[in-house]
Amino acid sequence: MSDRREHMLEARGIAKSFGALKVANNVTLELDAGERRAIIGPNGAGKTTLFNLLTGEIAPDAGTVLLDQKDITRLTPDARARRGLGRSFQKNNLFRGLTVRESLTLSAMIALGKARQFWRDPGSDVEIAERIDQTALWVNLAGELDLPTDALSYGARRQLEVGLALAARPKVLLLDEPTSGMSPEDTGIMLELLNSLPSDLAMLIIEHDMDLVYGAAQRVTVLNYGEIVFEGTPEEARASDEVKRIYLGDWGDHHA
Amino acid sequence: MLRLDGLRLVLAIVLFAGGCGYAFTSDFFGKELLAEIAIFAILAMSLDFLAGFAGMVSLGHAAFYGAGAYIYALLSIWQDWGAPMAMLAATLFCGGAGWVIGAVTSRTQGIFFIMATLAFGQMAYVYVFENRAIGGDDGMSGVPRLDLSGIGIDLNDPSIFACFLVVMAGLVFVLFVWLLRSGFGRALVGMHRNEARMRALGLPLIRYKAAAFAVAGAVAGFAGTLGAQHSMFVSPDYLHWTNSGLVLVIVILGGLESLIGPALGAAVVIALKHEISTHTEHWAFFVGLFLIVAVLAGGKGLYGLLASVRDWAAAKRQPGGGDA
Ligand SMILES: Nc1ncnc2c1ncn2[C@@H]1O[C@H](COP(=O)(O)OP(=O)(O)OP(=O)(O)O)[C@@H](O)[C@H]1O
Ligand SMILES: [Mg+2]
Repeated sequence: MSDRREHMLEARGIAKSFGALKVANNVTLELDAGERRAIIGPNGAGKTTLFNLLTGEIAPDAGTVLLDQKDITRLTPDARARRGLGRSFQKNNLFRGLTVRESLTLSAMIALGKARQFWRDPGSDVEIAERIDQTALWVNLAGELDLPTDALSYGARRQLEVGLALAARPKVLLLDEPTSGMSPEDTGIMLELLNSLPSDLAMLIIEHDMDLVYGAAQRVTVLNYGEIVFEGTPEEARASDEVKRIYLGDWGDHHA
Repeated sequence: MLRLDGLRLVLAIVLFAGGCGYAFTSDFFGKELLAEIAIFAILAMSLDFLAGFAGMVSLGHAAFYGAGAYIYALLSIWQDWGAPMAMLAATLFCGGAGWVIGAVTSRTQGIFFIMATLAFGQMAYVYVFENRAIGGDDGMSGVPRLDLSGIGIDLNDPSIFACFLVVMAGLVFVLFVWLLRSGFGRALVGMHRNEARMRALGLPLIRYKAAAFAVAGAVAGFAGTLGAQHSMFVSPDYLHWTNSGLVLVIVILGGLESLIGPALGAAVVIALKHEISTHTEHWAFFVGLFLIVAVLAGGKGLYGLLASVRDWAAAKRQPGGGDA
């Protein structure tokens, strides 16, 4: 069985049903510090729901979630985020009307406990400024910092979606299809971006793009009907008959 | 996020200087009007903070205004507290009440939130109206004014009192500019834009909404202490929900989420109200008409109108380029 290494994120026996529909069926998975794991599975397999269960957006019917060995099952989504569980969304979830810098400031100031300062402007805070510059470099938006988010291209908005989560400097980052709807070029940029992130950051990445899975993840978890049906390296996943069956052999260009 | 751009600054200075100048040049009626405008400007800015910036449209604002007025009156008449202590206590009480009511009502959304704030406001109104100990529907008179004679300022002089209120409105403007640029203010704006994302980033929403409500409640209560001193009289009318409605109309007409727009809106609406009500009782009809025009014209209010004029002028001056 798995060795007792320090798991950054751990789900034990998570279960959830929407009426008669079992969207999470005894899901157990572990993520070590610095581990990059892809979650794949057909549409409606319960991938996004699993993220919502991990972040606390949805309460599980059964099971436990641990972040950095601490039970967070009963914490609210915001409390989990403050403890270092970050996420991005499948559909862009940005701040309309704000600039990239203003948006990233919101994320950084919350993470640094500066949202409750009613006497200081985070816009002139050195620590926040440094964080924003670093984040902008990671997500390729250094030149777009003062543009309103609505003026960004789709690919750039997708990058900001990830950047918002990164500006909080999470310990564990859950990315829900970071490349969804992206052109192949933008997907390449996203892959490069993910691989440039600090190596101690643990990431769980829901992805349909196999190039990104192979390029960014060391482990693959396959989810089908809310159940983990496979776990292994990307190469083992490619060789697995079970995984092939689920994906109907459609490996090269599977898309949502 | 509040950007204290040139237009906001110019408007603030014009309103401030105009108000102070008018206080000393107008007739008695003009000074009364100015005092009312200054008080409504404070109420409107505090409601804009709550509704425009934080996205929490409240119809209970008059209850805080009335509570501030009554607490000030009670403490200064019955308890002989000095005016500064009574003003401070009334303001703090309204802040505390705002925190509690905000924490309760923030668990609801949209129209339910509006109804919950309306219900709280009406409860406060009925309580004051029925409570004979504090004058019931007769209210209470003999409310004293702040005594600044020690520094040579006579607030019983109508010119000086009107000017004092304009200065208070100016201070409230500065307070909100400062708050809205802070981490707290930015968090509220972010919450208004995208609540779910702010929560996913770690913001405890209810706590921030309660805090926003507390700040708006405290400032509205402060306006109440000024209102009580202005008329030297308090009555349940202060708390009536139609006052909440009027303040909301002022905010929308002036321009939501612009801070200075609602101050301008207060000047326009209160002046119009008096002008029209000398000719007809149906002043509300005309204010309503203006409101419809404002909403149809893009919903950005007077401030939005001025901002588009500015942008148009800038584009004309410098074809192809933005302003420096
Ligand atoms: N709040 C909800 N109430 C009821 N059913 C839901 C709810 N959320 C999701 N579902 C259903 O649960 C199933 C899993 O949805 P989920 O969004 O987790 O799938 P997914 O694996 O992320 O799919 P995709 O690849 O399309 O994003 C779907 O059948 C969906 O319709
Ligand atoms: Mg999904």
